[in-house]
Amino acid sequence: MTFPFEWLLHGGREVGLVVAVAIGFGFGFVLERAGFGRAQKLVAQFYGDDMTVFKVMFGSIVTAMGGAVLLSGLGLMDLRAVADVATSATWIWPMLVGGFVLGLGFIVSGYCPGTSLVAAASGKVDGLATVAGVVVGTLVYGELMAWPAFAAFTESGFQGHLYLQDLVHLPAPVVALAIALMAIGCFVGAERIERLLTRGPGTPRVPRRAVLAGFAGLALLGLATLALPRATEAVAVPERISPEALARRVIESPWNSRVLDLRSPESCAAARVPGAECTPAASLRDLDLGYAAPARDLVLVADGDLTELPADVRVYRGRTLVLEGGWDAWKRWALEAPQPLAAGATAAEREAWLFRSGVHGALTGAKAAPPPAPAPAGAAPRRKATGGGCSG
Amino acid sequence: MNRDPGKFWNPYLAGVALGLVLLASFVVMGKGLGASGASFRVGVAALSVLAPAHVATAPGLKAVAASPLDDWLVFEVLGVLLGGLVGAYTSGRLQVEVLRGPRASAGLRIGMALGGGLLMGFAAKLARGCTSGQALSGGAMLSAGSWAFMMMVFAGGYAIAWTLRRAWR
Repeated sequence: MTFPFEWLLHGGREVGLVVAVAIGFGFGFVLERAGFGRAQKLVAQFYGDDMTVFKVMFGSIVTAMGGAVLLSGLGLMDLRAVADVATSATWIWPMLVGGFVLGLGFIVSGYCPGTSLVAAASGKVDGLATVAGVVVGTLVYGELMAWPAFAAFTESGFQGHLYLQDLVHLPAPVVALAIALMAIGCFVGAERIERLLTRGPGTPRVPRRAVLAGFAGLALLGLATLALPRATEAVAVPERISPEALARRVIESPWNSRVLDLRSPESCAAARVPGAECTPAASLRDLDLGYAAPARDLVLVADGDLTELPADVRVYRGRTLVLEGGWDAWKRWALEAPQPLAAGATAAEREAWLFRSGVHGALTGAKAAPPPAPAPAGAAPRRKATGGGCSG
Repeated sequence: MNRDPGKFWNPYLAGVALGLVLLASFVVMGKGLGASGASFRVGVAALSVLAPAHVATAPGLKAVAASPLDDWLVFEVLGVLLGGLVGAYTSGRLQVEVLRGPRASAGLRIGMALGGGLLMGFAAKLARGCTSGQALSGGAMLSAGSWAFMMMVFAGGYAIAWTLRRAWR
């Protein structure tokens, strides 16, 4: 089982929307209990004497990050795949400007867009006014998009989906641990500043220590998963593709696949699947598949059946397929002349046979075999009556 | 239930609780939390009642014009409102009032709320998310842009905190 649950987004959409309300409920309830339905509690962050905003925000980031990294390390979830869907790509300039302007709006209104909803729901008229302001602000943006120079700025500095672990070239659990440690340091510092400015007792010490230790422990557990053999991924049987399906891909939509031939350079140079790159297993690392755009499906061709994906291929973010039976199967299918078709074959069998002998002819230079004898009289009209090849 | 309007959760425990809600959102739905996206959709829905022809053609609006309210975020925000309401009721903080600094008038406060909201709505669209969708959700997923955004939010707040001290202190 792998999270998230696909069917909630597609098949079970109605259930998904109920889950959305439930998750929102938790979000709103916790924000209210943290004191985020009150403007003074929120803006106090910027006057130094109450750092609740910082503690709650950073604490929740460290918790969710640690949990997601741990689940991904255990193979229950795919961090990057979820992140690509759950977060936006990076447009650095609009994000920097947007962040600054949002910060201004935060202290002017006393809320952020999410907390203003909670304030409005708890009867705060200023919260309701902020909600209205946010709605108008998003519409102003929508209207400004008609102005080409503004629209161009909103698209500037595009970096695609860029993550901190890509910037520092370290595994995600290492980055998560660094962030958790930084957060703990900042929390300790925030407590000092609060005590200095208020001369009060600060946050109760017992839960604070336990939570901070928990953050460090969670991040360390995530780091420990790096030591696990990639159990779930290695055990998972790679997705396979038959020689015929590969031939159809290569001929009908070559732009959808990148075929990697893992055999020795000599064998690959002698004969290969059309369009295949000769990439013996030792050279895979140089392809940097972890950073390659995942637009095309990888298709691996080995000598025989490949039962486990090489580590350098597992890092690829797109789909990976393995040629069923490897090169031997391809050779039998494509490079040996197909047996003549038995009489009484169906239309689909005829089509497959013609395709196969066409590929064989093209790859070996052999004259294509004459088309098989037409199906017995009566077959063609009957096929017409049932309405098409798919039903045959 | 003991209702004390002045009593809040310990911020670290609240952080953990919020983090678990966010993690549940990632794990169950494969999505992050959000708020401003729903505001935009509600705004477009309202505008398309007033000026349907304009909404259908405006480059910045037409993308969601067909069914503005049919989105996970709109339902999630419904939940936020419900959760906020229940939280406020059970804590004794459910009360119609204008929260403001000791020296600010109610009129000034409402004006600031509207103006600040407007800035945030604009900024959240520009940054592809607000403190919920970008800073929290993107931050937890280690998105580089989200972290840059989050730093700038704090920078913006601190930049004018001193100027605005009379409104809040």
